[in-house]
Amino acid sequence: MTEPAAPSWAPTRALGRSVLLTGLLLLLGVALGRVDLVLLAAPFAIGAALHLRRRPESVPEVTITADETYLVEGGAVQAGLTVANPDALGYDLVVVRTKTSPWLRLEHSDRPFAITVPSDGWAAIDLPGEALRWGRQDVGPAAARAAACGGLLASRPVVTPARGVRVYPTTEPFKATEAMPAAAGLVGAHRSRRLGEGGELAGVRQFAPGDRLRRIDWRVSLRTRDLHVASTLSDRDAEVLLLLDLLGEVGRSGGVRGSASVLDTTVRAAAAVAEHYLHRGDRVSLLEYGATARRLRAASGRRQYLTVLEWLLDVRADPVEEDYEPALGAHHISTSALVVVLTPLVDPRAADMLAQLTQAGRFVVAVDTLPEETAPPVRNQWTPFATRLWRIERENVLGRLREHGVPVVTWAGAGSLDLVLRDVARMAAAPRGR
Amino acid sequence: MLTGLLRRLSRIPTVVRRATVVPVTVRCGIALAGVLAMTVAWPTALLASQFVVPLLVIAVWPAFAPRGRGATFAALIAVAGWIVDTAGYDSRIALWRVVSLATLLYLGHTLTALAAVLPYDAVVNLDVPGLWIGRALIVVLISAVLTVLALGLTEDLGGDAFQLATLAGLAAATGVTVILVRLTRRT
Repeated sequence: MTEPAAPSWAPTRALGRSVLLTGLLLLLGVALGRVDLVLLAAPFAIGAALHLRRRPESVPEVTITADETYLVEGGAVQAGLTVANPDALGYDLVVVRTKTSPWLRLEHSDRPFAITVPSDGWAAIDLPGEALRWGRQDVGPAAARAAACGGLLASRPVVTPARGVRVYPTTEPFKATEAMPAAAGLVGAHRSRRLGEGGELAGVRQFAPGDRLRRIDWRVSLRTRDLHVASTLSDRDAEVLLLLDLLGEVGRSGGVRGSASVLDTTVRAAAAVAEHYLHRGDRVSLLEYGATARRLRAASGRRQYLTVLEWLLDVRADPVEEDYEPALGAHHISTSALVVVLTPLVDPRAADMLAQLTQAGRFVVAVDTLPEETAPPVRNQWTPFATRLWRIERENVLGRLREHGVPVVTWAGAGSLDLVLRDVARMAAAPRGR
Repeated sequence: MLTGLLRRLSRIPTVVRRATVVPVTVRCGIALAGVLAMTVAWPTALLASQFVVPLLVIAVWPAFAPRGRGATFAALIAVAGWIVDTAGYDSRIALWRVVSLATLLYLGHTLTALAAVLPYDAVVNLDVPGLWIGRALIVVLISAVLTVLALGLTEDLGGDAFQLATLAGLAAATGVTVILVRLTRRT
């Protein structure tokens, strides 16, 4: 047997007061034979009778509207609430409240709104504002409660689930002009270190069977009286794997105009690097270093850029218990891929992972995402010393990583990786093997 | 209880900071209606004594706690004052006093009903209090007309209106019973 549903509308204390005062004054009026007491009851009785001659049946319907357009952090958001009244009787008052993500600064969203809604009509509340940080930011849940019949009846609260607004990260300007260490595909924009069809001149050599006639260098051929051809370096694409260290969040995020936490730097840097390489025609894949180990397959083009941005929206700190290693082996990573590891290098397991990848012959570049001013909260007089010791230890780890051939560079936007990419490319050209 | 009271007191600065104009005005209206109702209802002699302080507190209380039973209590105290004044102090039942008291009691009641559903920090469209007060004024106007007619029919308001009071009382009691039956059936 199903439980009877709760009534949509319930009498308020005002109705109880109305009935009580009317009844009491009438009784007193009759008992004491005083018409003035009956007349004092008149407004309460007339008010109740007028207001309750028609009663509402339906509860209000609340809809949350939010921007569907491409929205980048710092951009303007246009959200809103629409309250509809399906009833034949107008609502005297509808109080609507909504929660919003702390990273959406919407006008008056922290206050309830009081509006009237006519019968079979609707009323809209605009919530213009600004998106302060990347991610899926919620508008809602929203709740509405209506009062009708002069406040003698009130509806039960109606709750509408939240609606997500996708706020994409700002892509900090990034440009790397250096060669990729291991361009691998058949076509692409990078000049490889192998000879082939391309635009970059590698040298002049004697004509050999199979050479194209248009490659003949006539000036050299006339001078040497022997056919020579201009050989070029082939243009190839490359795979870039962005490995995001999500073992922990460090620092306090202040949104797009405030301080950046580790996750902020990681996501914005990843978006910038991905945009750069995808724009050049390379294949970009993403991988999380954390408990979930989400992965985005390598692909190229504009569609992949949009997928990357969408994928980055779900990036969260994803810690793994200290006794366990996140499941990431070198075999998961293509040998020819450039691995850009975005890591704060706070967890020793991240440093171990970097060393292992380098040892396994992967081209690894570590981008340090730790905010410069990061320090634990001061708890006692020893905290500054402990922080200093921790910093020295971290510098030690960075030094040892560099000794192992892992270039570590602090993220600084444009040109951040040029210097280290040159080193990695040089290392890639050297004979390999142990 | 003490913890609850302290928590409420600690919330006062936040409430003052966040309060908006319309809900505050509505609550001021409740307080004003309460104070005026007490002034009209209670004997002047008592109002001039130290009894005025608790009466004012009771009159103002619904403005601070519109969702509680304060409004009902304040209305009952005002009615009690009216009976004390007219029966105990033998004051004359003047038309203006009956109309004023009925109007003030109803305005206090309906504004309390509005304040009970209107959060103190709400962003309020002005048509909400406008329409609300408009409806209240219609009720007050009809009641005032009825009062004038009824009192016009009774020459002596103090004693010989028993028959009329009985008839009006019975008619109103029937109306209230009908309303209650309809409400019970609905829920």
